Amino acid sequence: MTIARPGRRLMHAVPLRFVQKKIQGFGHRSTNASLSLTSMIDFLVVIVVFLLITFNASGETPPAKSVRLPEAENTLDMIDAPMVAIAGSQILVDGAPAGNTRQIEDSKRLQRIDELFNILKSKREVWKQLHPGKDFPGVVVLQIDQDVLAIVVKSVFQTSAFAGYPNVSFMVGNIPKSSTKK
Amino acid sequence: MGGVDVGGAKGPRRTLDSEINMIPMIDLLMVTISFLLITAVWTHMARINADAQVPGPPREVEPDKMEPEKQLHVEMRATDKFVLIWKQSGTVISTVDVPRKDALTVKNGKKLVRFPELAAKIEAEWKTVGQHRDATDKKFDQAILHTDNETQYVYLIGVIDALYQAHRPYNIGGKTEQVPAFNVTFAVN
Repeated sequence: MTIARPGRRLMHAVPLRFVQKKIQGFGHRSTNASLSLTSMIDFLVVIVVFLLITFNASGETPPAKSVRLPEAENTLDMIDAPMVAIAGSQILVDGAPAGNTRQIEDSKRLQRIDELFNILKSKREVWKQLHPGKDFPGVVVLQIDQDVLAIVVKSVFQTSAFAGYPNVSFMVGNIPKSSTKK
Repeated sequence: MGGVDVGGAKGPRRTLDSEINMIPMIDLLMVTISFLLITAVWTHMARINADAQVPGPPREVEPDKMEPEKQLHVEMRATDKFVLIWKQSGTVISTVDVPRKDALTVKNGKKLVRFPELAAKIEAEWKTVGQHRDATDKKFDQAILHTDNETQYVYLIGVIDALYQAHRPYNIGGKTEQVPAFNVTFAVN
């Protein structure tokens, strides 16, 4: 069956000349535009295919909105691990509050963050109960704002290590290598 | 309506032609596009690895029987230079100064700090002094980052990124891949 151009249908049955004329635009160019169905479907299919290819169902956690991550080029792929975020002065573990950084910033001394330590330690114990007989990977991902001071980074790093997470990964924005080569 | 003619319909047999209703098909495509656009993740996140160097479970070879390895200490406390120091059990083997030129770019509020000269120097140093280069070697050369407490995180990432420019082959499950040559950790003092 071929696709037929439908033509005008609105009030075409009204036998009045001025109505017909008005519908036809008083001799002006018609405001109706025909759309090529084949091209449109091709276009839609191409978009669907592109989006399906780039779709990622891994449930990657985007960084918190208040955290501006720095960018780097020699990076590794993200992994599934507990996420420690430092947003402002607040520390979050998988979105739940786990202390703040004010004390470290005030004292300017490297120190253990007890609340973070306890939460990470309990997460490790839960993992060991859920995976008996398996080696604990000890990986934690840090989401840290680009302007956070090194003393805070080192304190969080050391606290994570003390809590049984010696493999610390820093979450960064990925930039392609070729774009910045000189 | 759109039709699909697969041919071969002759005589009294049921026709093989079938029609696809265009309206639900376009609706389906539109809904699929909307769903994929809403759930799309446009920012690609990655990670930079570091190792806290804490003691692991007991090993077959006792640590005191192992020969101490060379470690690369990267000093970034000075504002005008980096100092690369190779040490072996507290003894300084070599020291190299690298002029510090902070290539800071800000794009949409996101900072990118690069140290291309430092990265090139570290790569060259690793090629001459680095110990773990073979693909079958499971150990990595160790880099220790020394920074003051006031340094911003973005500069730490810049230096770690420079350290990770040096790559080596590494066997993972029978496949050889290029991985960063150094394991990075922070000096606590």
